[in-house]
Amino acid sequence: MPKNKPKRSAPSIDMTAMCDVAFLLLTFFMLTAKAKPQETLVIDTPSSISETKLPDAGTFTVLISKEGKIFIDMTGQHTRLDLITNIDTAYTLRLSEEQKMKFANLGSFGVSRSQLKKFIDLPSAERSAFPAGGIPVDTADVNKSELADWIHRARLAQFRMKQNGKVKEEYVIIVKADKDTPYPAVQKVINTLTDINVNKFNLITSMEGKAEKK
Amino acid sequence: MSEIAQDGGGGHKKGGKVRSKKMSTRIDFTPMVDLGFLLITFFMLTTTLAKPQIMALVMPDKDIKKEDVEPVKESKVLTLLLGGENKVYWYEGITDAKLDSTDYSAEGVRQVILNKMDKVKAQFQTETYKRKNKEGVEEEHTDGSYINVLIKPTKNARYKNLVDALDEMAITKVRYYVILEVSELEEAFIKNPAGGLKFSVDEQVKAATK
Repeated sequence: MPKNKPKRSAPSIDMTAMCDVAFLLLTFFMLTAKAKPQETLVIDTPSSISETKLPDAGTFTVLISKEGKIFIDMTGQHTRLDLITNIDTAYTLRLSEEQKMKFANLGSFGVSRSQLKKFIDLPSAERSAFPAGGIPVDTADVNKSELADWIHRARLAQFRMKQNGKVKEEYVIIVKADKDTPYPAVQKVINTLTDINVNKFNLITSMEGKAEKK
Repeated sequence: MSEIAQDGGGGHKKGGKVRSKKMSTRIDFTPMVDLGFLLITFFMLTTTLAKPQIMALVMPDKDIKKEDVEPVKESKVLTLLLGGENKVYWYEGITDAKLDSTDYSAEGVRQVILNKMDKVKAQFQTETYKRKNKEGVEEEHTDGSYINVLIKPTKNARYKNLVDALDEMAITKVRYYVILEVSELEEAFIKNPAGGLKFSVDEQVKAATK
């Protein structure tokens, strides 16, 4: 009697389930994804126990780099377009419609008003290499401070957009500074904010690790 | 399900008509899974899932009027001077203030605040005070355990120190705290603690209402 050989089948695994999982996860990540905005400066925020999350929309962020340079960023394309149109008319920067559109899609920036046109014209890859000096701040005279002007006009622009129904909320002012930023630079920003009667603002912090010793 | 058909489909049956070859309807999913995971990896690396936290901060109004300034009991005041190199200098009250220094650890500045709270609690337990509520009606409060913390970052302080100090306020639940500018007197006090602090209340009010 010949031995009954066990039937050999190819060592194949059913991939359907794995495939299902893979695509489920893929769908999840695609739906929750928000592409990382291009960062013109790297900021390492200090940690705190705060658990309030940063809102998605309606934020005006003042970024302070390690060297104390001030950058600004704001959400909402409509508001940005309205804001740059307003700035353009007020200071006759003579920006084209295309340049204004570019500004609306720009991330954070830290150039003075006079350099803004040049900065916008740069291809996005070269912007981070631009020798940005930060937004000029004049603590002695708030009317001369470009930072105060930007914040003031941006809030008005956001307010106009809210009235048009283009955005839902007014701007929340956010201060994002590096943990090694010297305090005088932060103080300059805080003083500017209180000068224009923004007494309530938020500081960005990262999550405090449980194991991390305070 | 998706095994690789090795016999090339239906195969030949013994005798009978030669049927057209039936291809297996099974598909090998492996490349699809590969692609799926590749895309997952891509999205995982490019998304920012963790949203940063924010910490609300309310500053006092710039043009505060002298009439609106409410005097605070000196014994309830704790001043933290945030110095360089992660050091905190602190003193209580203003009369015969003694400067001491600590750090931002849980045993450091937090203990200083808690000790101060205990001290104030023991001293003012039965104290009552009146405060207007939201509707503008005066209400009597009996809790005297509130301390007033003045946070004064010096120019050597880092932003991290400020956030740490504010964090301690949240941890120890200090209700009244304010960030103020450090005065020249205090800078001299840090340099020469033995020299003491000679405050005049009028100057303080002037500095706060300028």
